[in-house]
Amino acid sequence: MSERYKKQTDHNEYLWEGTGEPDAEIQRLEQALEEFRATNLVPPVFPMIAYAARRPSSRLAVTSNAWVPRSAAATLILTAFTIALLLSLRELTLPDSNTGWSVELMEAPADSSPAASKLKRKMQMQVGEAFETNRVSTANIAVADIGRLELGPMTRLRLLQSVAGRKRIALDRGTIHVAIWAPPGEFVVDTSSAVAVDLGCMYTLRIEENGNGLLRTTLGWVGFQSNGHESLIPAGAAAATYAESGPGLPFFEDASKEFRSAVSQFDSAKEGSAQRFAAQQVILREARARDGLTLWHLLSRVSEVDRQAVFDRLSVLIPPPASVTREGILRLDRTMLDSWWNALDLGDIGLWRHWERSWTGQEMRQK
Amino acid sequence: MQSTLDFGPRVLEHLLVTEEQAGPHDSDAIFVRAAQQGDTEAFGQLYRRYVRMVHGILLGRVRHVEVEDLVQEVFLRALPRVCELRDTSRFGSWLATIARNLAVDHYRHAQTRPERPDEGSDPDEQPAKFSVSANREAAEILDCIRSLPEAYRETLILRLVEGMTGPEIAAKTGLSPGSVRVNLHRGMNQLRQKLALGELRNPNNRKNRMTV
Repeated sequence: MSERYKKQTDHNEYLWEGTGEPDAEIQRLEQALEEFRATNLVPPVFPMIAYAARRPSSRLAVTSNAWVPRSAAATLILTAFTIALLLSLRELTLPDSNTGWSVELMEAPADSSPAASKLKRKMQMQVGEAFETNRVSTANIAVADIGRLELGPMTRLRLLQSVAGRKRIALDRGTIHVAIWAPPGEFVVDTSSAVAVDLGCMYTLRIEENGNGLLRTTLGWVGFQSNGHESLIPAGAAAATYAESGPGLPFFEDASKEFRSAVSQFDSAKEGSAQRFAAQQVILREARARDGLTLWHLLSRVSEVDRQAVFDRLSVLIPPPASVTREGILRLDRTMLDSWWNALDLGDIGLWRHWERSWTGQEMRQK
Repeated sequence: MQSTLDFGPRVLEHLLVTEEQAGPHDSDAIFVRAAQQGDTEAFGQLYRRYVRMVHGILLGRVRHVEVEDLVQEVFLRALPRVCELRDTSRFGSWLATIARNLAVDHYRHAQTRPERPDEGSDPDEQPAKFSVSANREAAEILDCIRSLPEAYRETLILRLVEGMTGPEIAAKTGLSPGSVRVNLHRGMNQLRQKLALGELRNPNNRKNRMTV
């Protein structure tokens, strides 16, 4: 009875999500019907659509056979037209580029907690300007209408760009706490060693005077990029950045102390050094399944010889998808790396690739 | 370096919404919002994510040889309307509705237009893309599925043809996981019965076939 029940349950699970003991008949149907499957997965070139012009008319259209009298319909049409005109004029007359960011400078008496801070001054920050806090002051900055920054003491930043679709600052030193609710890739922070790209989240970034720093993600995830190195940092993880080498390996903050120390040692040691190799061995030994995040990044930061050991360890922790081969990973095939990333279940890497393409295009247009 | 942030209610409200949405739909919503701002690359990402669902829905309703063109048409219909979609997390169910409506329109149009010589009811006369002799069984299984009630037909095609899992079907179409599970099991039982009754090999049952 129990065996039969188990078999039935397994077959149900196979039908439901392809797990459990395969049902032979369903497998036969799958194989037979596979030829009807969608094969053209490449999207066509979609035409550009001017949405803004279409929106008001589609919502406010009044037909002549409506129950309202014709004069009322005419009034409605006129009102709708006026509203649409005002809305479009508002958009035209208030471009982001002319709008400064609101800054609230807070100051606390020495030796008191930040909660005791009081508003000292309100001001506007324009593109090209720098802003700095001292030992007793902090600041809150509204990032246009897409988010908010809090600056810790002794922080200096510059506003580089504020246009629709792109807000960019440079953090020279100090600490910022960031909360952004714009589409991914819209808010970018330049530091001397890496560029932090918001992918819909909340994070803290600290940069020291020497250019080294640390980024910790609280919600969503952040891309950290420099000179071909990229670190994707999901919530609960952090990554250091170094003035000389750029973003380090991201790691979950709940990893073991040995693991975190080894990551730090690996990041700061010279390429090919014995110290770096020793750190790599500890990382592989101490890694949990969750630390697949770090191992995935490690794949592209070690030599091809060392990559084999990383592949083997990551395969045990997070089995690669069927489309991913050892040979492909050893030659750093991007499609395979991306597929494996998606198996980590930390978010779709397509989001990051999409941002990379749009960013590259925007940079090219600016040049 | 502990955060001392005390975010205002507006920020917290947004972040709570973001947390609730975290999951497969989270990045969909992001792509939808980008598409609503005219980003055709983002719409391309949505195409990649939903093309199998749209393909499966259409395959349950129209001939296989016509599905590919109609898939493109579904997305081209959706593109200019995506800005009207207020709940970005409902993109999948919204797109599924467009696909179903397009299939209905197509069927009505096909009923009223004169029959062309290549639209006969015998599948052997179809300009099929594959070898008929090698795929007769597959075509007949597909017709068996198409003869099931609509809810079962669509879910089974997404599972057996498009290779989507039950949870994936639920997430993409907006149906509840419970409904999808029921549709899969009841549909599969009915399909097994039909296959066991030998409908595949009974020539009398081929009269009303859609001819793949």
